Amino acid sequence: MKQSVGQFLGRTGIRIPLILWTIAVLYPIFWMFLGSFKSNAEIYRNPWGWPETFNFANFTQAWTNYNIDTSVFNSLIVTVIGAVLTLVLAVPTAYAIERINFRGSKVLFTLYISGMMIPMVLGWIPLFFLLAELNLLDSIIGLSIVYAMSQLPFSIFVLTSFISTIPKSLEESAAMDGLSPYGILFKIVTPLTMSGIITVTIMNCIQFWNEYFMALIFLQTETNYTLALAIDYISSEAQYTNAWGTLFASLVIAIVPVIVLYAIFQKRIAKGMTEGAIKG
Amino acid sequence: MVQSKKQKYWFLAFCLVPTFIMFAIFTLYPLFSGLYYSFFDWSGSSSNKEFIGFENYIKLFNDAIIPDTIVHDYFLVATKVIGIMVLAMFFAVALTQLKIKEAPFYRIVFFFPNIMSVVVIGILWTFIYNPSLGLVNSGLEFLGLEEWAKPWIGDEKWALPSLVLPAVWAGIGLFMLMLMGGIANISESYYEAAKIDGASEWQQFWRITLPLVWPQIKVSILYIVITTLNGSFILVQVMTGGGPNNSTHVMGSYLYQQAFRQYNFGYGATIGVMILILSLITVLVLQFLMRREKVEY
Repeated sequence: MKQSVGQFLGRTGIRIPLILWTIAVLYPIFWMFLGSFKSNAEIYRNPWGWPETFNFANFTQAWTNYNIDTSVFNSLIVTVIGAVLTLVLAVPTAYAIERINFRGSKVLFTLYISGMMIPMVLGWIPLFFLLAELNLLDSIIGLSIVYAMSQLPFSIFVLTSFISTIPKSLEESAAMDGLSPYGILFKIVTPLTMSGIITVTIMNCIQFWNEYFMALIFLQTETNYTLALAIDYISSEAQYTNAWGTLFASLVIAIVPVIVLYAIFQKRIAKGMTEGAIKG
Repeated sequence: MVQSKKQKYWFLAFCLVPTFIMFAIFTLYPLFSGLYYSFFDWSGSSSNKEFIGFENYIKLFNDAIIPDTIVHDYFLVATKVIGIMVLAMFFAVALTQLKIKEAPFYRIVFFFPNIMSVVVIGILWTFIYNPSLGLVNSGLEFLGLEEWAKPWIGDEKWALPSLVLPAVWAGIGLFMLMLMGGIANISESYYEAAKIDGASEWQQFWRITLPLVWPQIKVSILYIVITTLNGSFILVQVMTGGGPNNSTHVMGSYLYQQAFRQYNFGYGATIGVMILILSLITVLVLQFLMRREKVEY
C-alpha cells in the first residue's frame, strides 16, 4: 500500500513526542552515571555535561566513608531471604487454592488478594511494636519477613494463574502411579510452574532491593541499613558536605543490578507487572 | 484416587496453615490492632497507654493540617490519573496503530522507570529541580525565561505540583503496556470497516479504540488511584519530607511524622484508619462512576 504524504508526515510527527519522552527517560539516568565520575567541583562547574576524566574516587568514597559495602550486603540478604520466604509460603497455598477442592477456598483467595488493595500504612504502627516484642525490630531477618508478607498476595495471585495452566491429567496419572500429594506438589507441579516462579521471584527481588519506606520504619542502626536507607542518609548528609559525586555513585550502585535484571528478563518483568495490575 | 480423607486434610493443612499463620500474624493482626490503637493515647511505652475513646478522632477533625493532607493526596490522584492516562494512551496508540519500526525500543525504554527505586527517582528529580544546578532552571535560562526559574520543591506554592512530574515519569510505562494489550485485542476488521465508511483516524480513536479498551482504562485508573492513596507518601518522604511548611504533606507522610517522629502512635493509627476509609470509599465511588456496559460490536 502506498503511503500518502499526509500519512508520512504524520508518522514522522508522531516520532517527535516519542523521541522527546525517550530523552526525558534516559537523560536523567545517563546523567546520574556521568555524575558519579565527576568531582564535586566539576559537578558545580558543569552539572549536566560530559565528565573531564572518568575517575572512580566517588565509588571508593561511598565504599569507605559511608559503608556502602555493608548496605549492599544487607540489601542482598533481605532480597534473597525475602524472595525465598515468599516462595515457600506462596507456592503450596497457591497450589491448594487452585487445585484442591475445599470449602472456603474462594474466601481465602479473596482474603489474600484484598491484601494488595489495603493500605498497609495502618498496619505498620502495630507491626512496629510486634516486631519489637519478637526481637525482630532493627533486624535484617525481621525486615525480610515483613517484605515476604508484603509480596505474598501478589505472588499467590500470579502463581495460581500459572498453576491453573498445568493439565490436571499429569497430576492424576502421577497419583495413579502412587505418588503422594507432597510428591505431586514438589516433583510435578513445582517444576512445571518454574516459569511462574521465576517471574514472581524476579519481581519480588526488584521490589525488595528497591524498597525504602518499610526499611526506614523498621531499621534503626546504621550497620543494618539497606542500600535505600544508606542512599537516603548520604543524600541528607550531602546538604552539608556537598558530596554529590558520592551520592551519584551510590545511586549507580543501586540501579545497576536492576538494569541488569531488566536487560535479561525485560519481557517477563513487563508481563508480570501488567498482569499483576490488570487482574488485581 | 487412592487417598484417604485424613491424608487429604493433612496435606491441605500442610499447604495452607503455615502461610495463613504468618499472614494472620504479620498482616491481619497489625491491620486490626491499628484500628484498636486509634482509640488510645500512646507514646510507645507500654505503661502510658490510655484508652481515650473517640478523642483521637475529634482531634483529627480539628487538626488544621489534616484537610490539607487530604487535598494534597487527591490533587496527586487527579493530576497523576490525567497525566498518566493521556500520555500512556497517546503512546499506546502511537506504538500499536502507526506501525513504527522501532516500537519495541520505545516500549522497553518507557517501562524502565517503573522498576526504579523510589529513592533513586526521588533523588534524581530533586536534582532536576535543584535551584542552582538543576536541569529545569538551566533549561528555562537557556530559553531566556529566567523569570520563571524558581526553587521548585523549596517553594511552598510549587512543591506539590513539582511532585507530579516524577510520579508521571515513573508511572507511564506500565499503563502504556496495559493499554497496548487492550488495543492489540481489537480486531483489525473494525478499523477496516471504519475506513471504508470514511471515518477519520480521530473518529476511529473515539468510536473504536476508546470504547473497546475501556476495561483496561478502568483498571488503570483504579490502580493509579489505589497506589497513589496508599503510597504517594513514599515519594513525598524522599523528596520533601512533607515540607516546606507542610505544603506537601500527604496523609501517609503525616502519619509517619505523627507516629514515628513525634511518637503519637495512637493518633498516627487514627490517621491510618482515615486513609483506609477514604481509599475504600474512593474505590467504591470510582467503580460506580466508571461502570459501563462492556462494549461489543
